[in-house]
Amino acid sequence: MVTIDLAEMQVRKLNEILRGFGATHQNAEIINPDAKHYIGVGLISPILVRVRGSAGYYCGGLCDGPHFKVDKNVSWGVGDNLLRGSIVVGGNASAIAGVGMRGGEIVVKGNIGSRAGQVMKKGTLCCAGNANFMAGYMMYGGRVIILGNSGERVGEDMMGGEIYVGGNVDSLGKDAMLVEPSSADIEDVMTFLDRYDLPFRGTFKKIICTGKTLRYGTAEPRLRKLPFYSFSSAGKQDYWNAKVEEDIRVKAHIGRYRIRGYGASRHLPHFSDIGFKKDMSGAGKDPGAISKVNLRTFIGDNHGGRPMDLSMPVMIAPMSYGALSAQMKIALGIASRMSGISENSGEGGMLSAERAEARQMIAQCLAGRLGWNVHDMKRADCVEIYISQGAKPGLGGQLMAEKLTREIAAVRGIPEGMDLRSPSRHPDILGGDDLIMKVEEFREATGWRVPISIKLGAGRVRDDIKIALKDGIDFMELDGMQGGTGAAGSEVAEYVGIPTIAGLQEALDGLEELDCAGGMPIVLMGGIKDGVDAAKAIALGATAVAFGSTMLIAAGCITCMQCSVGNCVIGAATQDPEHTKRFDIEKRALQIHRFLETVRWQLAAIVLEHGYTDIRQLSREDLVALTPEAAALTRLPFNQPRDS
Amino acid sequence: MCSIAGILFKNGKRPNLGMTTGEALTEMMDACRHRGPDSAGWALYEEPQEGLLRLRFFVRRGTGQSEDIARIREGLARHGAEIVEDEAVGCTYRVIVKYSGDIQQFSYAMEHAGQLVSIGSSLDLVKDVGQPYGLQQIYNIARFDGSHGIGHTRLATETGVHPETAHPFWATGFADVATVHNGQITNYWIMRRRLERRGMEFRTENDTELIAVYLAYQMSQGVLMEDALRSSLDDLDGTFSYLVSTKDSIGYAKDKLAAKPMVKYEDDDMIALASEEVALNRLFPGRSLDTTEPPPLTCGLWSRQGTA
Repeated sequence: MVTIDLAEMQVRKLNEILRGFGATHQNAEIINPDAKHYIGVGLISPILVRVRGSAGYYCGGLCDGPHFKVDKNVSWGVGDNLLRGSIVVGGNASAIAGVGMRGGEIVVKGNIGSRAGQVMKKGTLCCAGNANFMAGYMMYGGRVIILGNSGERVGEDMMGGEIYVGGNVDSLGKDAMLVEPSSADIEDVMTFLDRYDLPFRGTFKKIICTGKTLRYGTAEPRLRKLPFYSFSSAGKQDYWNAKVEEDIRVKAHIGRYRIRGYGASRHLPHFSDIGFKKDMSGAGKDPGAISKVNLRTFIGDNHGGRPMDLSMPVMIAPMSYGALSAQMKIALGIASRMSGISENSGEGGMLSAERAEARQMIAQCLAGRLGWNVHDMKRADCVEIYISQGAKPGLGGQLMAEKLTREIAAVRGIPEGMDLRSPSRHPDILGGDDLIMKVEEFREATGWRVPISIKLGAGRVRDDIKIALKDGIDFMELDGMQGGTGAAGSEVAEYVGIPTIAGLQEALDGLEELDCAGGMPIVLMGGIKDGVDAAKAIALGATAVAFGSTMLIAAGCITCMQCSVGNCVIGAATQDPEHTKRFDIEKRALQIHRFLETVRWQLAAIVLEHGYTDIRQLSREDLVALTPEAAALTRLPFNQPRDS
Repeated sequence: MCSIAGILFKNGKRPNLGMTTGEALTEMMDACRHRGPDSAGWALYEEPQEGLLRLRFFVRRGTGQSEDIARIREGLARHGAEIVEDEAVGCTYRVIVKYSGDIQQFSYAMEHAGQLVSIGSSLDLVKDVGQPYGLQQIYNIARFDGSHGIGHTRLATETGVHPETAHPFWATGFADVATVHNGQITNYWIMRRRLERRGMEFRTENDTELIAVYLAYQMSQGVLMEDALRSSLDDLDGTFSYLVSTKDSIGYAKDKLAAKPMVKYEDDDMIALASEEVALNRLFPGRSLDTTEPPPLTCGLWSRQGTA
């Protein structure tokens, strides 16, 4: 056993050293820990680590394999996302112990703070003392054992798993119920307690989820839905139109909100309301435009990570394996590589086949920590913290049961068969001060090698970007309300959020207010449909754009906007093998790639026609607003369009 | 987005920490610098002297400072406050005056002369843009070796980085009461308007100032601090872990969601509270401490003369 003195070094150094010892199978002991944060984060070797004192936040976080013994206390988030291994805490643990656990065992000999085991999926979290409120909050699986009192609202919103309470059950959480434990259950628990020398001579109460809120009640009737956009352009002014009638009738039938895919589909101020000052009719005449213009874009090296290297300022927007089929994800991976841009895992974990095809891939971490694990972080080129998305800012992801197959449930670490609603808020990010701690934990887990970005739906962008900047985020993916989703409440998709061009302007204003113009690269998305939109976005001040819905349409999507149903006829947004077998991965990948090349072409042509040689030379000075709304939102000069 | 710290020595005892009260607070604040790199502040309590009041004002740095100071001196004179000692340091102007009139009216009136940071018979409130160690040098925090104090480091997000928006906040109009706060009070405006209707004034739009005024107002109505802290748990909406300090006590309150951390260490000689345990360890390096976390929806108070 090697002794490391934390009084003599930074935690970052400690973790590098621990990784080194891990690789050579040497156990380690840490003296003078003094409650410092991130001790042992990102360790994936099965060594023994002894902490001779107290540890701070995220002790043993994002680990796979090691065995920690902490002599005294730990602060928030001990064993965050533990995959395998164990952590034994001699003293007390603070809030959210065992958050997002996916395996392994955590034992706290003292008391634990509130929301222990939040969104855990597997493994055992054991507290020999008393728990605090909402133990097992939103757990998807796994086991919580509390020898003392449970605290208020134990098992609140749990969706799977089991909680055993040896003392009092102070009160039950929403959707939790008491059941009689079987003798096999008790035997299992007692074997576990034996292993950790925790004597217990009482009886256990067992708590599981009632299952009442796991599925929506009535399914929507299958009908050919009327698209919003038919009723939202000028000229169609009737109020009680067919779309409104359809909405009311369906809701009278199902008694709840409707759900659909895509984002806001009615007319909103957008890039079509912005024009170039210069006459662009000559753009594209020069066949050599691409070779004459520099489009290469680096993003994300603000804090020393290796930046994303994009051949043009374009990314593929985050879309989940779950919302999309594996085949579609793989096609996106191939297309991103062929066009020299990046892919994004979206929610729910990283599909290995997709990771293999894409040259650069961003791993996205959402509030439910579905599929999230340290290995995907380590094989990602960037780690992204999802706060919200444009289609439904303030809400979490949704995946209906039809699409939650056994494979997807396994990747995500949850039981199959539920209408999955991801939490809207991260268990350990309740403010800007928490976000800093999380960013640091992710940096420790990835050895400070990669950028940490944030995905934000456009809401109060001006406030949010300031927090992101202060909290050490490397770049922001900003998604306006036109941005799509696989499933969202239809009113939310249509009416919550702000338009993409408004979001960008707010972001730029926010940075300006902190005297940090240009300090946070912005990747703008939300209804970007071609290279012309992209050029305008970049001229306005975005560093790059991302395509989401457009990629699906390039692959053949017919924009029926019923992605949530799981019946996607082209096999892109479904898990049904009847449909996915029709999805020709190579063919679709080529289609997406060809479309991306038209984007490259348009970007180069527009830049060249302006007389520039680099895309970054485009600026606000090159743009005008074509409508009063766009002028108000972007503060561009208002010019009525010429007859085109 | 911040960190809070507080320390109180009981019954005149002074354990051998190897540092003064001011230095102890600075160490705790420095340990949580990652939570608040923009500005820092201390509320420190000296021994009161009969008939004397301590005031601190914000003044401009460089040109304009002498003009600001002149206005303050003139304002003090107009209200019959006789200057006994004064000092310009950093972005502040500190005075000790002989004054025995109504403090609330005095402090409201002084707004015309200068920007008050604090008034008290004991309280001296120092806050500025910058980090704890650096500011400790400028304001000579190390010289404070009184019985108690609270401190804060701030991450400025919505508002800009100015000394006025740093914590601690003095309870505008009330002597010797200061608060530091981690969190966000979401019913700020409702609470503020209620207090404004009762004649209270506010100098910023910062919710920490609200907490201070809320508590001080209750005390002025004869409510004990413990009870004011308890009613704040019901009256305040939002996330909060806050500390309040008075002439002879410090207290805390924690919201029902426990969304903002707080850890405490207590023994027979002292009580120390902080946002994170790593801050408490600065007082006792190399020791693993017996700390406790105040449960959600609780409050507590410790006074110099033993536990409350």
